[in-house]
Amino acid sequence: MIQARRKIGFHLLLKSKFWLTVLFAALLFGIRWTKGAGYLDLYSILLKPILPGTAQREWIQEGENIERNIRLKLLEEDNTRLRKALGLQEFNSDQRISAAVISRSSRNWWQQLEINKGARNGVLKGQTVIGPGGLIGLVDSTTLLTSRVRLLTDPGHQVGAWIDRTKRHGILTGMGTNRPKLIFLNKNSLAKTGDAVTTSPASTLLPPNLTIGIVQFVNEKALPSPYAIVQLTASPEAIDWVQILKNND
Amino acid sequence: MTKKLFIFFTIICLPVFIIISPDWLKINGITPCWPVILLLPFSLKNSPWKSVFASILLGIFIDSFTIGNVSYIPSLVVLSLVWSTYGLHNKKIKLFLNIGLMAIFGTFFVGLSIWVQKIILYSVLRNDWFHSWSFYVLISEVIITGLVAPFFSSWLLLAYKKI
Repeated sequence: MIQARRKIGFHLLLKSKFWLTVLFAALLFGIRWTKGAGYLDLYSILLKPILPGTAQREWIQEGENIERNIRLKLLEEDNTRLRKALGLQEFNSDQRISAAVISRSSRNWWQQLEINKGARNGVLKGQTVIGPGGLIGLVDSTTLLTSRVRLLTDPGHQVGAWIDRTKRHGILTGMGTNRPKLIFLNKNSLAKTGDAVTTSPASTLLPPNLTIGIVQFVNEKALPSPYAIVQLTASPEAIDWVQILKNND
Repeated sequence: MTKKLFIFFTIICLPVFIIISPDWLKINGITPCWPVILLLPFSLKNSPWKSVFASILLGIFIDSFTIGNVSYIPSLVVLSLVWSTYGLHNKKIKLFLNIGLMAIFGTFFVGLSIWVQKIILYSVLRNDWFHSWSFYVLISEVIITGLVAPFFSSWLLLAYKKI
């Protein structure tokens, strides 16, 4: 029996599931070629509402800050205990007196500040005065209600300082400008521009590790000893409030 | 009334200016040389001995507002002697600019004396002979005193003459 031959033509392609197969294959090829990018994008869009948001990041940061503060407090206590054992000056943040600047002479023959706290508030001669940015000067004299602060910039004023990176000591000498001179005690200072100048941790007069300034220029060949020009980080010309650090003895 | 006003201005207002050092009376952050402004009219009007005595008292007063051992007294004593001698020979000092000029020279002399005293007292300053800060202070102080003195000192001189 002879059967009639089916019609063969392009219309068969349209009728059958051929295109569906091709489309599916192309999709699979696309996924393979893009390494599943579409899937991943879709996955990320779906996950977005339940992903950790900014609030969660803040909680984590807050937790980290608390942990750091606790560690800092523990380290400070440890440091104070060790400094006490060595008989060195302590940096006790609890014993500070805040005072307002009532008169300023930061560019004259005498570079000084008058502050509104005096002997009645427990301010004594020689105590350290700090402001935003670090060390400003030392208390030169006190009255019952006021104190006079001799600035680090006052010509001839000398305090001990050091560079933490090189562990070299020097004498910071006021030169009348905002850039006092750090005269090193060693022949080879090893200082570089950008080094931070702080009070010495071994100082028996000043509290340790108070920021003073940044080295701007070094002259290694100077005689009798090398020196560095230091840019102060605290600007006495702009400071209206200062803090006096009480001695712990 | 004038006498009372004069006493009030001399005893209360001028020391207040020294302490509060108002910004509008500053040039480059530097105040006028108040001891010169105060001493100049007094010296021109009084005898040398009186002026020297006044300069010592004024020096002690001004020194109490500064730090360190550097003093105004030596320079003020010399200036009071010079000005009082000049004042005795020139009975009619009316020229407005004359007072300004005397104040300028006086301030320069006072500044120079402070600078020299600082160099003598602080050995560390001897290593650098070029002190940019002192030139800066000296020039600024001379300029601002030269501008302010004709007003304040002339006023004080007129007030002295009225008393």
